[in-house]
Amino acid sequence: MERKIRVVMAKLGLDIHWRGVYLVSQFLKDAGMEVIYLGNKFPEQIVEAAIEEDADVVGLSTLGGNHLALGPKVVNLLKKKGMDKIKVFMGGVIPPKHIPLLKKKGIYEIYGPDTPMEVIIKGISDSVSVN
Amino acid sequence: MVEIDRLISESLKGDKHAVARLISIVERGLEPTPYILEKIYPHSGSAYYIGVTGPPGSGKSTIVDKLVKLFCNNHYSVGVIAVDPCSPFSGGALLGDRIRMNKRQKEWDVFFRSMSAGRVMGGLARTTKESSRILDASGKQIIIIETVGVGQSELDIAQATDTVIVILTPESGDNVQLMKAGLMEIADLFVVNKADRPGAENISLSIEAMLDRQRGKMEWKPPVILTSASLDRGIDDLYEEIWRHSRYLKQDDKLKNRRKTQLKDELKQRIESEILNVLWQKIHGNAVIDDLMDDIWEQRIDPQTAASKVVRNWLKD
Amino acid sequence: MSEEAKNAKCLFSEEHVRLIKENYDDWFKNCLRDDDRAMEGKYFTHSGIPVKLIYTPADTEDIHYMEDLGFSGKPPYVRGVYANMYRGRLFTVRQLAGLGAPEDCNKRVKYLLDHGATGVSILFDLPTIRGYNSDDPEAEGNVGQCGAAVDSIWDIDAFFADIDLGTVSTSIVTHLPSTSLVIPGMYFAVAEQRGTPITKLAGTCQNDFIMETCVGSAPEILPPSVSFRMQCDVVEWICKNVPRWNPISFNGYNLREAGTNAITEVGIAVANAIATSEELIKRGMKFDDFAPRMSFFWDLHNDFFEEIAKCRASRKIWYKIAKERFGAKNEKSLLMRFHVQTAGVTLPSTEPLNNIGRSAIQGLAAVFGGCQSLHLDSYDEAYSAPTEEAALVSLRTQQIIQTETGVVNTVDPLAGSYYLEYLTEEMTKRVFAYVENIEAMGGLVSAVESGWLHREISNYNNKYQKDIETGAMKVVGVNFMKSEDANITPIEVFEYPETYRRQKAKLKRLRKERDNQKVKGCIKILREKCHSKENLFPYCMDAVKNLVTHGEIAEVFREEFGLWPFPLIS
Repeated sequence: MERKIRVVMAKLGLDIHWRGVYLVSQFLKDAGMEVIYLGNKFPEQIVEAAIEEDADVVGLSTLGGNHLALGPKVVNLLKKKGMDKIKVFMGGVIPPKHIPLLKKKGIYEIYGPDTPMEVIIKGISDSVSVN
Repeated sequence: MVEIDRLISESLKGDKHAVARLISIVERGLEPTPYILEKIYPHSGSAYYIGVTGPPGSGKSTIVDKLVKLFCNNHYSVGVIAVDPCSPFSGGALLGDRIRMNKRQKEWDVFFRSMSAGRVMGGLARTTKESSRILDASGKQIIIIETVGVGQSELDIAQATDTVIVILTPESGDNVQLMKAGLMEIADLFVVNKADRPGAENISLSIEAMLDRQRGKMEWKPPVILTSASLDRGIDDLYEEIWRHSRYLKQDDKLKNRRKTQLKDELKQRIESEILNVLWQKIHGNAVIDDLMDDIWEQRIDPQTAASKVVRNWLKD
Repeated sequence: MSEEAKNAKCLFSEEHVRLIKENYDDWFKNCLRDDDRAMEGKYFTHSGIPVKLIYTPADTEDIHYMEDLGFSGKPPYVRGVYANMYRGRLFTVRQLAGLGAPEDCNKRVKYLLDHGATGVSILFDLPTIRGYNSDDPEAEGNVGQCGAAVDSIWDIDAFFADIDLGTVSTSIVTHLPSTSLVIPGMYFAVAEQRGTPITKLAGTCQNDFIMETCVGSAPEILPPSVSFRMQCDVVEWICKNVPRWNPISFNGYNLREAGTNAITEVGIAVANAIATSEELIKRGMKFDDFAPRMSFFWDLHNDFFEEIAKCRASRKIWYKIAKERFGAKNEKSLLMRFHVQTAGVTLPSTEPLNNIGRSAIQGLAAVFGGCQSLHLDSYDEAYSAPTEEAALVSLRTQQIIQTETGVVNTVDPLAGSYYLEYLTEEMTKRVFAYVENIEAMGGLVSAVESGWLHREISNYNNKYQKDIETGAMKVVGVNFMKSEDANITPIEVFEYPETYRRQKAKLKRLRKERDNQKVKGCIKILREKCHSKENLFPYCMDAVKNLVTHGEIAEVFREEFGLWPFPLIS
């Protein structure tokens, strides 16, 4: 049967803005993906979910400035558990000057506030086919 | 198969990654599925299965989260499968049962898997059962299956578990609904959640009254437990009642008989399903239907006679 | 009003209105082209109020000037809460302070006060807002980001070192009621310790349970009914003990930013004010005891005239509720005073300099709407705290509006516009209907607990997103007139890594130096009081005086009240 892409979506840490991540989750669902929505969770919990749910992709949403501290932490924990095939995406308000740094630390792609949904959907789909 | 064998042996040791991968393969019905099921089956059967069902908004996920906490604090290992509906349009799903999960203690042994009731080959009931067996075989002592069910034909939760908990809220007041849904028949335990709201006593009494009317037919009288899950009230009572039901089943081989009946039903369903598949292929079912369509549409033959004809032709062969 | 006055003819004579209507029909049939006529009925304001091609006195024929508009400073206050409006007092320009450790903030506060500011707004970091100490694991990555880190009374003391609390007006932007129970108490306790009686203290705290349970998500959220109880505890205690302090500001801004339209924005805030008033009256207070201290906080969005109408309508709505529903006797209880912030959500990160124009237009609308104070967003709003340059442009824009345009020289200058008066009436009607709907659902707290408001927000966002993607809603530079080679403006980021270390060290010292027996005692009492019907404020204040940390108090709340699952809308 046709493979459904499984995406674990989380708000990173204490970050409060949920409109964006809800919206993206709903659009991904409408595009046929299975979105496991965690709500606000911390890196250890996010990685636990990624493993148990056999996720293809992890999506992190933050507008609160904790992207540098916690984003790469998710990547590292995944690596430690041997799950580096899982691609980690980030969305929200992330200063452009931090993007190269985050990518260097293993974040696969970063989507800023005005990114169209179709770009996000395609980006995630393509990342899984790369596998 | 080397990779599959490795996954299976890791899974039996409780490796989360392996368990997760096996569940994915089986859920998608990929090629190694029969092999996996064959190897896993002998190692399953020692876990105790609990089903949790109820209408949306009843607080199932919160209750499951609290139960997981209780079981873990009492040193049991727990596997949870949470089933949510999928979009009939896109086939995608938004699975949110993990939101309710609070932080786990380091020493807890928990595995939580979200599943969507989608267009899966063979129907949801099968993949949920198969996945729960994988969890069982990996060493989990308690398996909790959580589903939105008010009479969903896709997942017969009573067919897959030992204790069935039906969760209602003070707002679920419609008695007729309850009876239509068949919930009265399958419930081993009733929970009225959000019992801090008005109407809790009422619905509790309604349920008791309905149970009393059926008393003659029942050996086990399902208790009605009042809870306010988010306030941590009533969960201890629920926990005790689960154990009480399990003790009841373990007397006089009741559990064994219940499980045997379930296995019989499962076998029957699988045989029927396989026969159907094979048969359909054999008689080129779709082509046959297309051929007969004109005659049926022009009303030269009725659908019932046409169907009998097809079957008798096959039987002759 | 006398019968005679009531029956006095409306603004235009009946004959004249009839004449206008006839001419309108003629104009519609003969002056418009076919496609103009076809498009009539297809234009709406952002919140869905129909917009015609032309408005005439015929559209406002039922308006009775004295009854429906009146004069500034007099019922129904549509034209302004004060008689002299901006000639008497220009809208105040607040400066925000709050980044990093309290000691750093102290420097910024002193700088602002030295440069003529009489009021200061303090922002807090996320761990402080959500009730975690800087050294709690949940605080990781967020300590000192976007606001000040406050863990204990020592931090408030450091924040205001060498500042006379009796002479400043401080806005403590705590957002959540559970935080408003604690931080203002620290402020009051510090004042007392310094010999300043709390009766002298002036300021505000936001204190809105919608913030705690709807606008922002979090890993651990208190149930709406609990947060609402705390909201009322704060208002009750402060009204009785700190006469110059405004204990609540109903926050339409953040709700609007989360994703709603103008009607929901005002409707929810008003429903909250009604629920709060009813609860306080139940507790034995009189409406006039607390109503004068309630204020509101509006967003200023893109639809120019709708937003002005919203501001004007909100004053009339509050007046009617205060007078007719609650029987207010004190004139001050009838006034809806509001602070305005221009809409951050309308400022995209693409071509950020365009946002200077957007904010200027929105700021102008706020002034036409008669706000009491204004914060104009800076053009880099999409990227956290403003740079000095961006902040300066905002400030200058406001000063330009105040001094160069002349719009502040007369009260409510757009009154009489047929379009605006029509919109104001429509807004009033729709908001009242919205509020009635909430009452029918059992009140705002029930509506929130059921997930209804979250669904409203989610539905709005879905529609908005679809409109943006289909182009039904145009955003210049983003999906309209999109520039191929738009440069990404380099954006400054503020980082305060030192904050975590300093707060951690301070907490370690605090735990050693305090009387831990007393701390245990305070926590025990607080736990008990959670389950009583008593006001929690004094017990929290007592706790912070004994050096109980904010995180410890918040943890008590979480344990005693339980956590509320944030609704998921699929």
